[in-house]
Amino acid sequence: MDTKRLIEELAKSAQPVRRLPRPEYRLLFWLATTLPTVLLIAWAAGIRPDLAAKTTEPLFIIQVSAALLTAVSAAWATLSAVVPGEPRWKLAVPLIPFGVWMAAIGQQCWSEWRLFGAAGMEFRPDPACIPAIAVIGAAPAVIMVTLIRRGAVLQPRLTVFLGALAAAALGHFGLRLSHPTDAGLMVLVWQVGTVAGLSALAALCGRAIAKPLA
Amino acid sequence: MTAADRDDKAEWRRLMTAAQDADGASYRRLLQELQPVLRRVVARRWRGTAEDVEDVVQEVLLSIHAVRHTYDPARPLMPWLMAIVHHRVADAARRSGRRVAEFAVGNLEETFGEIAAKSPSESQADGDALRRAVSDLPSGQRRAIEMLKLREMSLKEAAATSGMSVTALKVAVHRAVKRLRATMRRDED
Repeated sequence: MDTKRLIEELAKSAQPVRRLPRPEYRLLFWLATTLPTVLLIAWAAGIRPDLAAKTTEPLFIIQVSAALLTAVSAAWATLSAVVPGEPRWKLAVPLIPFGVWMAAIGQQCWSEWRLFGAAGMEFRPDPACIPAIAVIGAAPAVIMVTLIRRGAVLQPRLTVFLGALAAAALGHFGLRLSHPTDAGLMVLVWQVGTVAGLSALAALCGRAIAKPLA
Repeated sequence: MTAADRDDKAEWRRLMTAAQDADGASYRRLLQELQPVLRRVVARRWRGTAEDVEDVVQEVLLSIHAVRHTYDPARPLMPWLMAIVHHRVADAARRSGRRVAEFAVGNLEETFGEIAAKSPSESQADGDALRRAVSDLPSGQRRAIEMLKLREMSLKEAAATSGMSVTALKVAVHRAVKRLRATMRRDED
């Protein structure tokens, strides 16, 4: 088929399209639908009894806020990634809250090391974190996949990685409200490890999940 | 950028916005005006033959059609358009790299005493080569071939299943068959 005929065919088949709202509006939609779900699941699982006391600890507040901001910025980056021509720096924005999050956990690990030494640092198997984050992050993930597929997926792996990071970080946020584990190493390995693992796993299946531009 | 360029771009934004509202005449005019621009940009980034360049231009046009709902009329058109061009050129470069690698292996010098009829193992090899060629197609073309030629769906059924328009499906199949023919011919050589 020559290009002129292709243009004719395309022009003939032009149907009205529903314009994709801006990434910021889609982000608000994602937050409005997923944040209440995450809070509801955390409430149903049982809010940790010491939550009021924890909110007076600056390190806990920084960690939880940074995790939430990582989720929000990763979601914004994902929704920007599926709009051709959006500036590429937006894809790097989640690195800022993620860096703060890691630094806060790192500081906690360092303090615990100095106080108790290697032998005194709490570390035990806690694989229950993996399904817990997956379950709490499931609704955000499903809605994110729907939003991704409405856009133009040019970089499926990166897009799905960022989307999964958003959902898993939100899952982690919900878990911190209900699960009383706070030891730095435990949070780093079992919770942040699960967030990273789920995001990487999703990225590997990026093409299957995201329906890339054919 | 000249004043004429600026006027062109403002006009293209207007035409694209009208195209999103199903104004076929505006859409036709936009694509016709973009065609030489796309050809020039693709030729600058893609060092293929004129036919290869035209293939990429057509893929860009199909991509514009498929994702025209993602254009925001409040924003300039060119960054949106160039992101699609960049993606399509990169895609073509990847495919071409794969073809070059296959070609290098497929043309090792061999000497045959006689040319015999195809043995069952050669027929099996042909089948394998075809399957490989189908799996190497761009995803849209592969999906179109699988639905229309292998699963024998109608155009309407395939359009409903894939979300692609009938036109895009027809073009995808046409281009897939052309590509498969070229691949199989190269394998035979």
